[in-house]
Amino acid sequence: MRSKQRTIKTSLLLAGLAIVLLVPLLLGRNQYHMVLVTTVLLYGVLATAWNIIGGMGGQLDLAAGAYLGLGAYTAGTLLLRWNVSPWLGMIVGGLVATGFAMLVGLPLFRFGVKEVWYALSSSALVEVLRVLFQMWEEVGGPTERYLPYHVSSWYHLRFASYVPFYYILLAMLLIALFLNVRISRSKLGYYLFALGENEDAAEVLGVDARACKLRALMIYAFLVGAAGGVYACLYGFIHPNFFSSAMSTETAILGIVGGMGITYGPLVAAVLLVSFREFLRASLGGQLEGLYLAVYAVILILIALFRPQGIATFIRDAYGKAMSRLQVTGEKDVVSADSPGL
Amino acid sequence: MSSQPILQVYDLTKRFGNLVAVNNVSFHINEGEIVGLIGPNGAGKTTLFNAITGLYTPDSGRVVFKGVDTTGLLPHKACQLGMSRTFQVAQSFTSMTVEDAVRVGAYNRCDEKTVAAKVDEVVAFCDLEDIRGQQCGDLGLAPLRRVELARALATDPDLLLLDEAGAGLTPTELAGLMDMLQRLKEDRNVTLCVVEHVMKMVMGICGRIIVLDYGEVIAEGSPDEICTNERVIEAYLGERAVR
Repeated sequence: MRSKQRTIKTSLLLAGLAIVLLVPLLLGRNQYHMVLVTTVLLYGVLATAWNIIGGMGGQLDLAAGAYLGLGAYTAGTLLLRWNVSPWLGMIVGGLVATGFAMLVGLPLFRFGVKEVWYALSSSALVEVLRVLFQMWEEVGGPTERYLPYHVSSWYHLRFASYVPFYYILLAMLLIALFLNVRISRSKLGYYLFALGENEDAAEVLGVDARACKLRALMIYAFLVGAAGGVYACLYGFIHPNFFSSAMSTETAILGIVGGMGITYGPLVAAVLLVSFREFLRASLGGQLEGLYLAVYAVILILIALFRPQGIATFIRDAYGKAMSRLQVTGEKDVVSADSPGL
Repeated sequence: MSSQPILQVYDLTKRFGNLVAVNNVSFHINEGEIVGLIGPNGAGKTTLFNAITGLYTPDSGRVVFKGVDTTGLLPHKACQLGMSRTFQVAQSFTSMTVEDAVRVGAYNRCDEKTVAAKVDEVVAFCDLEDIRGQQCGDLGLAPLRRVELARALATDPDLLLLDEAGAGLTPTELAGLMDMLQRLKEDRNVTLCVVEHVMKMVMGICGRIIVLDYGEVIAEGSPDEICTNERVIEAYLGERAVR
């Protein structure tokens, strides 16, 4: 039975992947639709990475914009100054973000900064960096710095179309999802879940809270920093506003609304909420400035009220129900789905 | 059975502002013992536990575990040395399943290859087979306490500190817990220190009892000696216990 379930699961995943791979063929002509799906993927990467520190580790991190900006500036500056390909730039960007995360995380976790205090501290990082880069004339400054224009250059990662970015971000998303799955089934994952639930209880069971949180923060920062490198190329410039508090908050919101600690939760939230928000913006934007934000906020409140465990639990429940029905009709002499050792 | 001390506490003091919660407390626990720590509410029992296991840093005094000075050591380090504990108010991993919660503890001594076997073993020992797939948040008090015990046990401790593990249990559940603790001592050679208000349990399993009042040790001895000690009766047990 297990093997049959696994076959179904694998085929569902493969079917999903096939559809996602084909999206640009269906929408490729329409630039607006391509921007939309690319944006969804970008938020998907950010929120899926956030799941490691926020969803599993329970740390309400609001600094996605800091790591994104650092990655973008690193890749962008390397390209502008030394003509280094953003392919290398995004790796270096990820590493710079990771190093920065370590510098920040060491003292924060050492002195036990948690919960709202951690949220506030991480949130402040974004603003601090934004102002710093505004003043740092050599790489930043208050105006945009444009990356060299190319109609289509794989070396410079510059394209006149969104389709290549779609595939690059899709690859990053798959990497982020893969890392999530691997971690959640490893010692680090179990330790993070325990820390997220109850730090004191976890510590007396041998969990090194500081080390675990720091590792989670660094992995998350690397993914977001690397995505920052792509972000710079996608928009074609770098600007201090890349250190965005709004984007940081939205990343955390998607992670929470999707379902804390559920691997695919943040992605589900990104797909549904980001496209819904863009749809609202397109349809309501002309009527009243900011109306779409109000509607969007109401939706978030409704989810918080009626599905605080996250919207991904709808999918989980439906999947579980479908599986058990399959079992009842399929084979009669099997035990329940979650009985161990089958 | 050896009588080597596994835990030695010297002149331990912990203050909260002007309140001295634990005042110059010294005692030791020998390998293979079951020691009871009793005293009225607010006597400093839980604070003492917290200071021993590293959740609090003591203001003065020393804690020596298996010959190593562990004063002020972080809780996870103490656990790696072989000391674990449970909490008075069950601190559960609400959204984790029973076996996942046990697995967190099991990782203390196991790697990815051996961890599953350890979980199976502890789940069987603590009689959690039937509920291993359930979420901790859905459990009642008695099974929740067993899960907490299992979690701590999975870390393979040499010394286990139990903070009111028997509180709120029915007589049958209590008998089961006492039996489990006896087996822990005999089959696994785990040394136990129990903070407890349930006298039936303290008198039933403890070889030695230490009594705390206002942060100080007021008596120490066998259950019989404690039952007849004037100061203990006055501070804690009351007149009836004498008869």
